[in-house]
Formats: sequence, structure tokens, C-alpha cells
Amino acid sequence: MSEDIKSCSTTANAEPTAARSTLPMWILILTLILLFLGAVYFDRHSGWFDKEVYAPYASAAMLDSYQPKSGAAAALAQGKKVYEQICGTCHGADGLGKPGQAPPLAGSEWVIAKGHNRLAHIPLAGISGPITIGGKEWNLNMAAMGAALSDADLAGVLTYIRSSWGNKAGEVTADDVKAVRASLGGHPQPMSHDQLMAMPE
Amino acid sequence: MKNGFVIFLAAFALLITSWSAFVLGPQLQLGGAKQVPVLNSTEVYPHSRPGEANQGLQVYRANGCAACHTEQVQQDGVACEVVLASPGKNPSAVSNLLATLNLHGLDVDQAQAVADKIAAAGGKTETHIVAVGPDIARGWGLRHSVAEDFLYDNVVQLGSLRIGPDLAGVGARLPDANWQLLHLYAPKSVVKDSLMPPFRYLFEVRKIGDAPSPDALNLPQGFTPPAGFEVVPKPEAKEITAYLLSLHADVPLYDAPFTPVVVAKP
Repeated sequence: MSEDIKSCSTTANAEPTAARSTLPMWILILTLILLFLGAVYFDRHSGWFDKEVYAPYASAAMLDSYQPKSGAAAALAQGKKVYEQICGTCHGADGLGKPGQAPPLAGSEWVIAKGHNRLAHIPLAGISGPITIGGKEWNLNMAAMGAALSDADLAGVLTYIRSSWGNKAGEVTADDVKAVRASLGGHPQPMSHDQLMAMPE
Repeated sequence: MKNGFVIFLAAFALLITSWSAFVLGPQLQLGGAKQVPVLNSTEVYPHSRPGEANQGLQVYRANGCAACHTEQVQQDGVACEVVLASPGKNPSAVSNLLATLNLHGLDVDQAQAVADKIAAAGGKTETHIVAVGPDIARGWGLRHSVAEDFLYDNVVQLGSLRIGPDLAGVGARLPDANWQLLHLYAPKSVVKDSLMPPFRYLFEVRKIGDAPSPDALNLPQGFTPPAGFEVVPKPEAKEITAYLLSLHADVPLYDAPFTPVVVAKP
């Protein structure tokens, strides 16, 4: 009996310790496959952390392709953009004009006229000499700032100024601009107040 | 302790990783969010809520509305619809062509192909973008909710349970303040099968004085107070109504495009 105890105590192992063992190959491979699949899914669906891309849009390019690009609303937005780049420098982003530089467009009888014919001539041909707006006389010159714009862009600008800042006048289409541009011919001279008034509204 | 420093480093790295992902990342991404332009418009979105509506957000929060109502519209997909703007010079050819084409539920390329076919026949088309999903079909919104919708909410009341309908667009859906007040005082007076508990303590039932209050609710039969009494909303009821009416996430944005139905100007 005592011998048993003695053998017991002497043959007891030291405290067990965790040994370093090699990682099983299949776990390594499985991990790599999962990482790869995860990366593929991320690439296809995440939009790469773009803050504007939410599901159901998978990428910035996909989101961009779904922006409405046709119709009156899109033309108006394009018109606003062009206006602010070109016309807004003098006429102001608020359409109020700047003394000594450009007359106001907001509430201007030239802008909100029933027809767009006279208005469309101004950016296409330019204007010089005195002109009355809202009872105040302006004597300035404007070059044919709109002649270089496409028909659609200029139509957008005209629609924008006719429907912003409290102005409520009708839409101007690209075909309208095209017709006015064609009637002016190749190198139009700046118009005067009397020339404009001689034209149909 | 063996390897104490390694364990500390590992725990610290873990903490830093989750903090970066859940706090730092979102802050860098959306912390600087500001008003964004409304698509195809000269407006910006969102505007801060008026003072009363802002107070109403706190009433909404205090009454635990978010326990039963969400403020997040989900969207499963997006589709294009080709809409005929003008039939052109040969209407019969265009209408014959339209009968053979599928105009709804298209993707961008398909929509372009259809538009090209109609253009070849002389018709003029517009391509409309529409959001698709159960929430949209229920009429809860026109697009999914995006971060901008919550820009001015001091405590965002997203909610997670829909015992009641989603409220992200309730101000656009039910814009009548009087309806909202009736619904708060006695939900069943306006929605027969409503599950919503009445919030009567937001109202005062009081004896009519010299003249009836102009604010008194005009309750339908069966919900009226005793004769000689009137139901008047307390300030909290007016505030939460103002808040509900200020909830209309219904403008198209770059990150949530759709084509709004344009109401012709008179």
C-alpha cells in the first residue's frame, strides 16, 4: 500500500503546459478562402466606404448612372449650373444684378416676358446701349455670352432665370434657342433696345 | 502572470480596432455632413426644424414613440421607367411600338435601349427613376432614408420595431394638423382598427368658459367629451404635431435619386 502511494507520488507528471503546435493546414486554407470571398463581396457591394453609396446601390458608378438626366427638371438643374458659372459672375447668383456691372434678372420685364424671343436674342447676340428695367435705365454693354453655349445649355439657363427668384415665366426649349440662333446668322452684332423692341415678344 | 504585456497589447489592439470602426470611421465619414442640394432643383436639404417641431422631437422621445414607430424607409432596389413625353409625328407607329415594349422595372441600359427604339419611331421619352421595395409600395416614402434626413435631429429616433407604420414621411402623407391631434387624443376616432394607445394626457378636458376655445378638438360621435366640456391640446400635443408634420423625407438627393412627380404649375 505504502509502496503504491510512493509510486504514485513519484510518477506524477509535472504541471501540464500548453505546447506550441502547428496550425492545421485545412484551417489556414479555409480562412484564406473565407477572406477571399469576403473581399469579393465587399468589392461588389460596399461602394468602397463611399458615404453617398447605400444599398441598393453597389458602387458610386452605379449610383451615378441612376441620376435622372432627362426631362425638364434635369434641364433646369443644368441651367442653374451654367448660370452660376457664367452669368452669375455679373448678374449675381441671386439674380439681383450688380450696380455698374449688370442689371437684375429677378422681376425684370425682359426676363419674365410672355414670349422668350427678345430674351433669347440678348445672350446670343449681345446688347449695347441704354435699356430700361423696372423703371430704371441701365447703359451697359454685354457681349454675346451665350453664343458659345449649346442650345440645350442656353435653353436651361433661360428656363432657370425665367423660373427662379420669384420669376414665373414659361420654359424655353433647345429647339426655341436653335430657331433664334439660326435667325441671327453667323456673326450677329449686339442689339440695341430699339432693335429688340422691333422684334416680336 | 505570464505574457501579461502581450495580453494587454492584444486587448488594446482589439479595443482600438472596434473604436476605429464604430466611432472614428463614422465620425470621419459623416461627422462633417451638411445640407446637400436637392436633385434637379435650386433648393437645399434638409432645413432645421422650426422651434416648436424641435420641441416636439423631445415629446416624441419622452413618450417612447420610437418603441412602436420607425423613421427609416427601406428600399430593395431601383428601377427605370420610360415615359412617353410626346408621340411625335407618327403617333400610331409609336403606340404600336409601345404595346410591344416593357416600359417598367428596367435597369439603366434597358431603359436606354427602349428609349432609343421609341426615338427611332419618332416619339419623345423621359426616363423616370423609381425606388422599389415593400416600404415604398406601402406608400411610406418615395426613397430610402439617408443620413441627411437626420441631420438636425438631436436624438435620432430611428426605431427598430414596426407595431405602427413608419413615420419618416408622415408629414407628407398626413399633412393635416387637426387629423394628427384627433389621432393622438383618440386614435380609433380616425383609424378604426388602430392599435395605438390614446395619448389623452397630452390634452385637457375642461369646462367650456365664456366661449369655446378655438383650439378645441372637433371629435366625431362616440368620442366627444361630456356636454359643456371641451378637449383642448396642451402645448406638448401641439409640439409633437408640429414635429410629425415636419417629417417629410420626400425630396430626391444625389445619394437617393428618384424622379419626383412634377405637379404642373397653375
